[in-house]
Amino acid sequence: MKKLAYFPGCAMKDQARPDEAGTLHALAALGYEVAEIPRWNCCGTVYSLAQDDLMRHVGPVRNLIRVQGMGEKRVLTLCAMCYGTLKRSSQFVREEERLARINAFLDTEEDFRGGIEVVHLLPLLRDEVGYEKLASQVKRSLNGLKVATYYGCVLLRPREFAVDDPDRPEVMERVVEALGGEPVPFPERMECCGAYLTVGRSDIVTERVGRILRSARGGGADLVVTTCPLCQFNLAERRPAAAPTLPVLYLGQVLGWAFGADEPANLFPLGVRDE
Amino acid sequence: MNEVTVFIMGKGYRVPEGLTIMKAMEYAGYRLGRGCGCRGGYCGACATVYRLRGDYRLYADLACQTPVQDGMYIAQLPFTPAERPPYQLADLQPRGETLLALFPELARCVACNTCTKACPQKLEVMDAVQAALRGDIPQVAEFTFDCVSCGLCTMRCPAEISHHHVWQLARRLNGAYLTPRALHVQKRVQEIAAGVFKSDLDALLSLGRDALVAAYKAREIES
Amino acid sequence: MATYPKEIQESIERVEATRPARMATKPPRLTLQEQEALLKGFHPDYRPEGKRKLKVGASWGEPVPHELADLLEAYPLLDPRAVDVSQPDHDVDVLVIGGGGAGTVAAIWAHQSGIPAERILIATKLRHGDSNSIMAQGGIQAADKANDSPAIHYLDVLGGGHFTNDPKLVRALVEDAPSVIRWHEDLGVMYDKEPDGTMITIHGGGTSRKRMHSAKDYTGLEIMRVLRDEARSRGIPVLEFSPAVELLTDGQGQVVGAVLWNLETSEYTVVRAKAVVLATGGWGRLHIQGFPTTNHYGATADGLVLVYRAGAKLRDLDAVQYHPTGAAYPEQLVGLLITEKVRGMDALPLNRLGEVFVHPLEPRDVESAAFIRECASPEKGGRGLGVPTPTGMVGVWLDTPMVDMIHGKGTFQRALSSIHRMYVRFDIDPTREPILVYPTLHYQNGGVVIDEHGWTGIPGLFAAGEVEGGVHGKNRLMGNSLLDYNVFGRRAGIAAAGHAKKATLGAPTLAHVRRYVEQLQSAGVPADRKAPLLLPEYRGEKALSRMVDLL
Repeated sequence: MKKLAYFPGCAMKDQARPDEAGTLHALAALGYEVAEIPRWNCCGTVYSLAQDDLMRHVGPVRNLIRVQGMGEKRVLTLCAMCYGTLKRSSQFVREEERLARINAFLDTEEDFRGGIEVVHLLPLLRDEVGYEKLASQVKRSLNGLKVATYYGCVLLRPREFAVDDPDRPEVMERVVEALGGEPVPFPERMECCGAYLTVGRSDIVTERVGRILRSARGGGADLVVTTCPLCQFNLAERRPAAAPTLPVLYLGQVLGWAFGADEPANLFPLGVRDE
Repeated sequence: MNEVTVFIMGKGYRVPEGLTIMKAMEYAGYRLGRGCGCRGGYCGACATVYRLRGDYRLYADLACQTPVQDGMYIAQLPFTPAERPPYQLADLQPRGETLLALFPELARCVACNTCTKACPQKLEVMDAVQAALRGDIPQVAEFTFDCVSCGLCTMRCPAEISHHHVWQLARRLNGAYLTPRALHVQKRVQEIAAGVFKSDLDALLSLGRDALVAAYKAREIES
Repeated sequence: MATYPKEIQESIERVEATRPARMATKPPRLTLQEQEALLKGFHPDYRPEGKRKLKVGASWGEPVPHELADLLEAYPLLDPRAVDVSQPDHDVDVLVIGGGGAGTVAAIWAHQSGIPAERILIATKLRHGDSNSIMAQGGIQAADKANDSPAIHYLDVLGGGHFTNDPKLVRALVEDAPSVIRWHEDLGVMYDKEPDGTMITIHGGGTSRKRMHSAKDYTGLEIMRVLRDEARSRGIPVLEFSPAVELLTDGQGQVVGAVLWNLETSEYTVVRAKAVVLATGGWGRLHIQGFPTTNHYGATADGLVLVYRAGAKLRDLDAVQYHPTGAAYPEQLVGLLITEKVRGMDALPLNRLGEVFVHPLEPRDVESAAFIRECASPEKGGRGLGVPTPTGMVGVWLDTPMVDMIHGKGTFQRALSSIHRMYVRFDIDPTREPILVYPTLHYQNGGVVIDEHGWTGIPGLFAAGEVEGGVHGKNRLMGNSLLDYNVFGRRAGIAAAGHAKKATLGAPTLAHVRRYVEQLQSAGVPADRKAPLLLPEYRGEKALSRMVDLL
């Protein structure tokens, strides 16, 4: 068994629980011993990417110190936002003066020494597990289910942190294929859903979500999958009235189902948000 | 008797060693109105911040439970302004969204841990905020049960969260909605209302002293 | 901070040596005659020098402790000529004097009975919640288990009170008890429960069934803060730092409000109210017979003073409850409450030689007398087996390490976390070392006479909580004071609301105070005695001796 430190993030313990459940089930079958880091805190998402306020990076760095404290050198994230935040923050604090100031502030913690790799599920499956092994361990094939793999922004932008080629990504499609599904092409797969605007300007989100779903249906999809809880929320809860009624699931749910998990059962929920 | 110097709001006083901060203030002539409540560590009235000679750190504790040290610089917190939003328990759902809707500033937490360092009860305050953000109400209730609402965390928090108000709501939600009811209590309430014990009590109230004493002596004590 | 000094360490070694043999044994309980003898010999209440008979008022001739008599036989703090009470600043239906448990419950139930929130006012001397209620640790009694009944609870209460209780009040107490617990569940109080919701209940001193419900050892705090939050949800107004310094009466002998005094600005406020609920709590800060106390800062018997001037009858004020286990070491903790729950969880009281000398759960007065006898010198008829401390304070051991030994590691820190925290702050680990205790002034067993609705007999005046008497007779059992304030707070609130809906008030006056002053003068009471006390005097003697009021 390969040990893997895991940072859940807030959503994985609340509305995105089925994503975590399915993913952990699959990872266990693939030979990983997943260890949730102790006493983790919210990564802070967008706020933690502030470049003018070092205080904002305390949250992400504290989580990386936890990984360090476990004796691990890398940490898995499932949520695209958490991935982006932890990865970019860890890069930002690599600069010596910033690191020294953060360590001085965190006087009750061990010093952060850097060198922790933040990993998202998708590159792990591609580079370490491999599509062939993935396919060989599937217990329930998706049987040609047509899947629109929606990336959203954070997995691919900024370029230096992208999990795949930011202009022509294919990792999510290959994973779906390995599970027996048929990924469909759709032009809006990398377009932003509107993210935080869902709070103050949901009209913009609704408009964009409409376009994304129409594009997915246009490609022939039966189902949309994503790895971002915010995207999932927007695509499921902010649809315009006339939008195609496509179910939107987490990649982890589909992954878990393909690996025989009882939960999350039912690949075709109506009213997509799983409680 | 050994004496030490304590600086109360900047003024130095010689007081006997071993006194608590509260008793040292009284020894020095302060009559406490604010800043004094139960005198036993339960009510949070005597929240105090202080520094020690040669130490940049800001400490926080309850005046009634903290012995003075030579060179201690103290200031009391007479009150923590922290508005409690209006709510009716019966109208609320026991979910994370409830806490965030009533206390949206929770999301401003930067995990700086200042609240934890300020807590005189040594609670894991930051962890409680994180549990609230995750919607884990039972965890919030467990972490904050020993909170005495002194307000020190609230005064120190850069995100301007009013912690003790969040905790109070989380604990009530936990007690009312996320813990099973005691069915035997409900049953007993119904029995009493139906008069099941009326004749027993009527009989006891009619007994003279000797008969009562005899009945008392004859009680079986549950082991 | 040092832990136990060397002299005490030797006694601790004795405790550890006797422990294995003691683990599974408990001494027999005393017979009623043995209890009587112990009380007569050693309980402070039985010292005739400690009290005197009242020379004025409706309870003329009744014995009360000197410290209280000095306040009842005293002139008004507020000179009636200095205030104009004809123009009220507040006009309400129900005025609740006291912001602790009883007051808050009364206000909530007045509201529940249909009085609009803005027609209720809680006036409190310190902050809302500052009270003895918030300090209660061990639990609240209610007969809600299958092997228990209100009738059995009734007997326990009566026996504990030495059969002097008012039967109707005891009946109300025990019949309402399960409903109180049910109500608390609805409000969200986090009682200790089994996973299936069954209440975890234990014995208290003098109980024949395990019916103490607790919330770790913060029971009082947990209940009070939920009640306070509920009052806030209902929008019930609270005036803090505004003690009542005099009641108001009209020409018909009815209580029609009170004069409040702002502790911070010295301003007085006149409140006109159709009904007044007195919920002013206890008297611990009078330090009766020089004992330290468990009580909060404001427990100075103000309510008794005010209500006595208005003609109320008092009862059982010669019955002072000393809690057997107040902390006796270190000096900073002296007097603070160590809950009976510690004994309920099997920690035994021991003398200097590590011997058991009394059953851990006799009723409180008996237990206290036993501890006093154990520590008193042979010249005074005692056994001289107390543990002396460097400050001169003497105490007996409470073998706290037994709790984890019997109930599992971690039990003490979890179930008795406030006490654990208290001692750890002073570098003593109660799970590894025993603690020293001695009786401490704790509760006012008696008080204002009430009926089962909380009515004092004076039109417009109701009372609830520690300030009233008759519920507990001469000795209260553990867990019945939290119950008392919930039961009678509710009854008084409902009765006050009912009265307010029908009352017609005459003009407010301080006539009853003037009449009382005449009684005092006739009785020759010294003119410099003033009451209510409001706050105890703890300022250093040196500072006091140089104090002069210039502003």
